[in-house]
Amino acid sequence: MEYWDWWIGALALGLITFLYHVLVGRRFGVSSAWERVVHWKVEREAERIDRDVAANADAFAAALMAETAAEFGEEDTGGVAVAAPPSPGGPAASGPTRLPMSACLLLLVSILVGAFVVALINGRFEVRGDMGTAFTDIVVGGPLMWPVLFVGGVMVGIGTRMAGGCSSGHGMSGCSRLQPVSLLATSVFFGTAVAVSSLLYWVI
Amino acid sequence: MSTTELDQTNAGAAAPAPHSSARVHLSVAAAGLALGASLGMIGFGDFAELNAMFTLRDFRMLLTFMGAVGVAGILFLVFRQKAPASVRIHKGIVPGAVLFGTGWAISGGCPSIPIVQLGTGYLPAIVTMTGIAVGMKAYRKLNARVFHFDAGACNV
Repeated sequence: MEYWDWWIGALALGLITFLYHVLVGRRFGVSSAWERVVHWKVEREAERIDRDVAANADAFAAALMAETAAEFGEEDTGGVAVAAPPSPGGPAASGPTRLPMSACLLLLVSILVGAFVVALINGRFEVRGDMGTAFTDIVVGGPLMWPVLFVGGVMVGIGTRMAGGCSSGHGMSGCSRLQPVSLLATSVFFGTAVAVSSLLYWVI
Repeated sequence: MSTTELDQTNAGAAAPAPHSSARVHLSVAAAGLALGASLGMIGFGDFAELNAMFTLRDFRMLLTFMGAVGVAGILFLVFRQKAPASVRIHKGIVPGAVLFGTGWAISGGCPSIPIVQLGTGYLPAIVTMTGIAVGMKAYRKLNARVFHFDAGACNV
């Protein structure tokens, strides 16, 4: 089966980016989801603390007030107590909403399922221990493939988090809003990929 | 940081009431399925197609990518959606993007592509995915101890 014409793919990816923003209320970013899942232990603990603080918002405020009173004396805290905000309506009502850990994992798993189903349907699915003839010809084949893939993965891991996004977060979400940081990051990572790929294809 | 950047950051911080958990999970699952299927149908997981795009021998996937940016941009404009919080510009953006671009060119990982490759049956993509996980763990440690890049509070 042929790959999609460019305009079908453009419509699909553009719609996904837009609908994700409307429905989820966040930037569509795959590397962010990756990062949360990779740090699941820390993230799960952070979510537990967030829930605890939200559930005990009043107790938390009272404890803060008590500490403040102990530190500065009762009379100074009177004004602050009056100005204390009402209890938040939900765990994420104050501050930016974070995508739940479970949703991050769900995103990665559903990408796998979507790709698998399509590969089955169009007959491209085939369990194999290499990365295809093009990869073997252009980059490397044989046992050297393993360290190359690993190092490439590490570079993607460090690079996407250092740059704060990948082809979905910066490339599609950010560039479509003309956000300066995304235009900068996308032109640099795309330019680098063009240079390195050309080197691999024509020189090495 | 420019003032528009500040505005966007603030707009993101003062987010409206959070969406319900069921809605978020359903939407995320639908987006993931659609993304995995689309990337498979476009051929982003196919190293031959990817290298052809990056060496500018074939413009189909490059046009797909640019077209997607255009489609999303027009939709955001027409439906007047507020931009979500963006990452701050800091000294790590350019070196980070250089690392990512190099890693993408040699491994094909973008980083949803190894997932697509695994779904297509390419088992070595698991090694790329392991590398991504190791790299992200390493970056969090390095940034806390060495770099101290501040991407803003709400980029995750």
